[in-house]
Amino acid sequence: MDELPASVARRLQALIYGERAGAWLQIDGALVLVAAGGYLDAYGLTALRPGEPVLPQALFLEGLLPPVETEFFLPSVELANGRAADLHLHLDGDTIWVILLEMTAERDAVRRVQQKAYDMTLLQEREARLNRQLEAANAALRAAQRELEVSHEQVRAQAAELAAWNRTLEERVATQIDEIERIGRLKRFLAPALAEAIVSSGNERILESHRRDIAALFCDLRGFTSFAENAEPEEVMELLHDYHGRLVPLIQASEGTLDRFVGDGMIVYFNDPLPCPNPAERAVQLAVAMREAMVLLGATWRRRGHQIGFGVGIAQGFATLGQVGFEGRFDYSAVGTVINTAARLCEAAKDGQILVTSRIAVAVSNAADITEIGQLSFKGLSRPLAVSNVAALKVA
Amino acid sequence: MNMMPQALQKKVCVLGGFSVGKTSLIRRYVESIFSESYITTVGVKIDKKTLDLAGRLVSLILWDVAGEDDMASFRMTYLRGAAGYLLVADGTRPATLDVALSLRERVEAACGPLPCALLVNKNDLTEEWTISGTDLEGLRQKGWWVRPTSARTGEGVEDAFKDLAVRVSS
Repeated sequence: MDELPASVARRLQALIYGERAGAWLQIDGALVLVAAGGYLDAYGLTALRPGEPVLPQALFLEGLLPPVETEFFLPSVELANGRAADLHLHLDGDTIWVILLEMTAERDAVRRVQQKAYDMTLLQEREARLNRQLEAANAALRAAQRELEVSHEQVRAQAAELAAWNRTLEERVATQIDEIERIGRLKRFLAPALAEAIVSSGNERILESHRRDIAALFCDLRGFTSFAENAEPEEVMELLHDYHGRLVPLIQASEGTLDRFVGDGMIVYFNDPLPCPNPAERAVQLAVAMREAMVLLGATWRRRGHQIGFGVGIAQGFATLGQVGFEGRFDYSAVGTVINTAARLCEAAKDGQILVTSRIAVAVSNAADITEIGQLSFKGLSRPLAVSNVAALKVA
Repeated sequence: MNMMPQALQKKVCVLGGFSVGKTSLIRRYVESIFSESYITTVGVKIDKKTLDLAGRLVSLILWDVAGEDDMASFRMTYLRGAAGYLLVADGTRPATLDVALSLRERVEAACGPLPCALLVNKNDLTEEWTISGTDLEGLRQKGWWVRPTSARTGEGVEDAFKDLAVRVSS
């Protein structure tokens, strides 16, 4: 390299040494500080002690001495006072020279740019992290929403199922209520078991109008009209209550069909609406049971001063039967001469008598002791009838 | 006359990606101070901390080397003469662990095996950590010294530097 002109060398020295706060240290091969100079204050190197080991005095040289290369450079070394310097080391024989050139301003300029770049990178990283968290939260939210939709769908399906069950239940309840109502209606004139059997079979067509051979039983009280005229209504009702309470269970037990109550009179028939074997015999058996029950009840009434007897008439023949009435009020009733005949026989019967037609008498001759009464004429009947009284049932 | 015994001086470098808390860890260790503001380091900043290790004084000359984004620009010359080094990663930024692993490879290639420890910093933000415990356990099983630290609270800082001081001065 050409020698610099003295003027240029001086100018360069002034530029570099003065403007960059140049400082230097001279160190011998034993790492003892020989001499130092320049702007040492700028780097906090104010108490250097030539003749002593350099490393405890210049910490930044720790590990760097002795230098491996003849020239060594470390840029931007910030020392204790905050100022930064480029560090140049070179060997000259056994002497180690260390030169410090300040670069605080350059360091600060780089720092400003670098700070912005790193801040931006950190912001981007943070944004990316937040985005990932947001995406994860969104995914979790979507998953939760899907679960919610599935749950909602399940609830909706369960609600639909429940509604279907409810409808079924309502239908069943309605059916059962209808059944109960129909049973209730039928129980008015049929034995309870018979009414339930008809309803459960679903065959209620048997209640439609039809003709059938039946045994008809008519019974009422002797002396009731005169009693009713003289007694208090409450007393009359009480007596009827006792009377019905005693006889109706017998009718139901015999599976007879109770047509209706007419004051103290009752009409019962057999073989309809369900057929039964030996309707005449059943009618007579019921009549005897009624008479026995009325013996006890009549005694009670007599003790109260009421002279009330009980009579029965039984006839057999074809009648027209079926439901009569209108919606909300139906009865099962029989119409025909056989009913009139039974009513007339009952009317003619004295207390304790069970008057029957000859057909009945023949039909039950093996089951009951019959006493012939004779030919009797009745109002509304064109011909006299051969009438008998049932004395008692034969002992089997 | 100065009667203080001469302390053993050891150069220790603190390395890692940018904004992992290297300067904050040194400041916490040397001055017991923590600042929330982040000021990037340019080049290298040198500090000193003297420890008494069972009556033996050891001065750690701490080189806070700028954490650079671009590994290619990292100056290995700053490590010249280092007795050991600390690698620092940010527990909330998994990429900084990769930087630390890469730095270790480069330091070992240039300087050979030196005492070192991995400080996983920002342990006060564990709910934001994305570096998994499994990864750290894997490194421990490979013989790494892994220390969770927090420059903010000081947790683990003193012990980490002391551990390294013992190892570089023995």
